[in-house]
Amino acid sequence: MIRITALAFLFLFLSACGDSGNNNNNTVVLPAKKQALSLKKETPNPFSIVDVSPMDMSYCPADYPHIKHVVGELPQIRIIYSRPQKQGRTVFGNIVQYDTIWRLGANEGTEIEFFKPVTIQEQKIKPGRYSVYCIPHKDSWEVILNTEVNIWGLNINTAKDTGRFSIPITSTTALSEYFTAIFESTATGANLVFAWDSVVTRLPIAF
Amino acid sequence: MRKILAVAALLLSAAAFSQSKLPAVDKSPMDMSYYPTGYPLLKIQDKATEPLVARVIYSRPQKNGRVVFGELLEYGKIWRLGANEATELELYQNVKIGGSKVKKGRYSLYCIPNEKNWTIIVNKDTDTWGAFKYDEKKNVVKCEVNVEQNPEVTESFTMVFEKGNGCINLIIAWDAVKVTLPIYQ
Repeated sequence: MIRITALAFLFLFLSACGDSGNNNNNTVVLPAKKQALSLKKETPNPFSIVDVSPMDMSYCPADYPHIKHVVGELPQIRIIYSRPQKQGRTVFGNIVQYDTIWRLGANEGTEIEFFKPVTIQEQKIKPGRYSVYCIPHKDSWEVILNTEVNIWGLNINTAKDTGRFSIPITSTTALSEYFTAIFESTATGANLVFAWDSVVTRLPIAF
Repeated sequence: MRKILAVAALLLSAAAFSQSKLPAVDKSPMDMSYYPTGYPLLKIQDKATEPLVARVIYSRPQKNGRVVFGELLEYGKIWRLGANEATELELYQNVKIGGSKVKKGRYSLYCIPNEKNWTIIVNKDTDTWGAFKYDEKKNVVKCEVNVEQNPEVTESFTMVFEKGNGCINLIIAWDAVKVTLPIYQ
């Protein structure tokens, strides 16, 4: 009971942090120009340039690296992806074409790791690392898991697909300047939430 | 217990999402480097001539006009070799670093910078934030490498792998210095 109370407080605390400007949890409407400028002032790097579409990672449970020493368990899921920017463009049906393969990000193929068995749309998925990509349509996305990892996000070997899941699109009025992939907890596990431009999709994952 | 947590988490996350809080782009963006260098591109072009050995995932703080070593980062204090989440080293083969055998797997990398040398630490505790919970009991390697002055200033903290002399070198560069960590296969 003490543990439950402590965890409840922890969740409340983290949630409160998110509201009051924890530096990783701000704003969906990102000021395009300011963000773009802050990335473009990079000087040339003699070893490795800084990516225009920077990489990021999200854990389930959210903010796992901050709370792991309290929850004391392995994370359930981690996704590593790159974050291209809208920059005033219409994203879907334009720079990301409908009905064609998209790497769900930029640069390297987006990587998802399940640290325990999960179920997606009735299909059991073994723990391990997968590439995840998408075929966006006008009203839905197909999200596809593939067993080939450590790849660049092009020329995906579809023979290694291991799961294909159709999910509906939710449109919002709030624009996401940067492509975003995060986990939100649900009663049965978590949703993997993708957001870019005015499109939001959710892939329910049960565990 | 699980049910209570799940419901609490659901309520909180629903509340959070309805306020449209998506994470902003990190000031110190994440990046990753492979050995062989550029492995993901080589792989999809069928041009990889060596097997995958190592990958590092790290965040890239910027110098921003500051003196980094000895000022922004104090000498003699543990540093996460980057920013945000602890830097992750993944080894796809068993290797030797600083005379110690390291089994394939995922590790965190830390550093204690000094003026003339850095202590590099490979630690078993992964998926953690910074060096705030650094536990030296989980170290698998603690070794020293020399600091070299770099003629060109490196604005963004950088980690890349290069082929060395009978080994793989992890080059770590920021501001006016660089260090080289040899990894033996």
